[in-house]
Amino acid sequence: MMFSLRRVNAIFQKDYKEFSRNMAVSSVIFMPPILAAIYGRMGIDSIESHYLIINMTFAMITAYVQCCLIAEEKEKNTLRGLMLSPATTGEILSGKSLLSFLLTGVVIVISAFLSEYKPENITVVAIAIILSSFFYIGLGTLLGLFAKSVMEASVLVIPAMILFSFGSFITKLAVQYPILKVANYLPNIQLIELATEVENGAHFGDVLSQLAGIIIWVMIIWLLTVVTYRKRMVD
Amino acid sequence: MSLTFVNAEKHINDTIVFPAFDLSVKAGCITAIHSSVNVRAQLIDLLIGNTLLSNGNIQVGKDDIRNGIRNIGFLFLEDGLYDRLSVEEMLFFYKRLYDTDLLVNESMRKIQLDTKRKTKIGQLSYSEKKRVQFACLLLQNPDVYLLEEFDQNLDMESKKIVLLLLQQLRSEGKSIVMLTGNMESAVIAADEIYRLDDQGLHQVQLETDMEEEGMKDDVSKAADLVQPVRFEKIPTKVNEKIVLFDPPEIDYIESNDGQSFIHIKGESFVSPFTLKELEERLLPFGFFRSHRSYIVNLQKVREVITWTRNSFSLVLDDSEKSTIPLSKTKMAELKNMLGFK
Repeated sequence: MMFSLRRVNAIFQKDYKEFSRNMAVSSVIFMPPILAAIYGRMGIDSIESHYLIINMTFAMITAYVQCCLIAEEKEKNTLRGLMLSPATTGEILSGKSLLSFLLTGVVIVISAFLSEYKPENITVVAIAIILSSFFYIGLGTLLGLFAKSVMEASVLVIPAMILFSFGSFITKLAVQYPILKVANYLPNIQLIELATEVENGAHFGDVLSQLAGIIIWVMIIWLLTVVTYRKRMVD
Repeated sequence: MSLTFVNAEKHINDTIVFPAFDLSVKAGCITAIHSSVNVRAQLIDLLIGNTLLSNGNIQVGKDDIRNGIRNIGFLFLEDGLYDRLSVEEMLFFYKRLYDTDLLVNESMRKIQLDTKRKTKIGQLSYSEKKRVQFACLLLQNPDVYLLEEFDQNLDMESKKIVLLLLQQLRSEGKSIVMLTGNMESAVIAADEIYRLDDQGLHQVQLETDMEEEGMKDDVSKAADLVQPVRFEKIPTKVNEKIVLFDPPEIDYIESNDGQSFIHIKGESFVSPFTLKELEERLLPFGFFRSHRSYIVNLQKVREVITWTRNSFSLVLDDSEKSTIPLSKTKMAELKNMLGFK
């Protein structure tokens, strides 16, 4: 069957309307800009604090919203209707991912503006951020497959939120506990490393290793998601 | 297009859900399959493609169901609607999802919710939600409609609207299958009724051959009805006890699987007599055979409902407001009794 953009668009619009009317979930999008505004006014502009906000956006908005969108369909028995419709799984997930992707983009731009973050090389940073958002969308989808309701989704997403938004503190702990060095390979830390390099005047060629790191994470998470999806849907 | 079960059989481990049966659901016909909840759930899983038959196959038209199920439209008992969308938005979503040319306004008018087009689905009543679900199904426009307990807990108005819609769909040549555990709703809506259980598939006879049966019974009746004493109470069996009831206490009597069940204040008791015998005994007390498998106490009837031109129900004045099917021929008879011309 052909991949139909009309159906993706229909699902996207439906999810947008549902999301905007569900204040319990949609109010999280105000968190990062508010924090960014406070940071900006306080004059904090270290690269870590900018990325604390960006990584928080990824965990709290991208992953959480994606997770809730999927969990809610399951909770309200609407997923069955969607699966029986001509829409393929790819189309259903694309429609949902499109919403969380656009939300992430908008919130990151607003937050960066408020916290006065101006990267030296905007293309490289933008590519890295877009790649990272694919990782978090995958993470959200994976958690959404496990959650049976929005309530469960909110609980499941908390560990991910802690790990990925405050993950930059782990690097400091790693000085004391060498075992934590593994954490340096997490996608959020890779993103911070990349941004630091960029601030030091690095170009596209210099940050390939970090970009590759993020791409590997994207592939791992989507592989896991697809495997879990196949398993869960057979039951 | 028709839905055909060929030698379909399902068992889970050692338990037989249903033995092999053949059934062809014709186009332009409403077929009811009366079954337990478990059998119903299994049938739905099979049709969705979640499980496979142990043996045999199911076909839609000429295609095996395993090759895709695009031509069946399902109406599930759980609504599966988006509470935060308005009726209109929900229907537009389905229109886009199924990419149809059918008009949203048209389907909204058919379920008579045009006045509530802007209302959020979460604020609708249960029956109205069911109607929205129906409208989604109409937009989907499948060849085979599969309805799971569609009239459970529906209010009168919605039931009428839905039954009328089903008549329309039937005249358009759609095949409609209703899965239900409620014989009354099957009798009211369907043309053909089957019972499916671990004994297999059996057709439940509707009223057409009622007259013949009456003739047959006449012969044996004369012998049976010699009673030494005039005795008016109706005996029923509860476990090993025999309980006697005064006829005016009885709400209605239903025959199921050749057994007569006497319904009194929401409870049912098995009677050793056939419906024919009970009818003879109860006629003097103002009882009325409203349908091949129902006798009703006319004193308890509150309302006569006309669903469509040839399907009717009686609503009783008991605590559960039971509805009893009333067949077309009996409707004429009842009108006579009531003095209508």
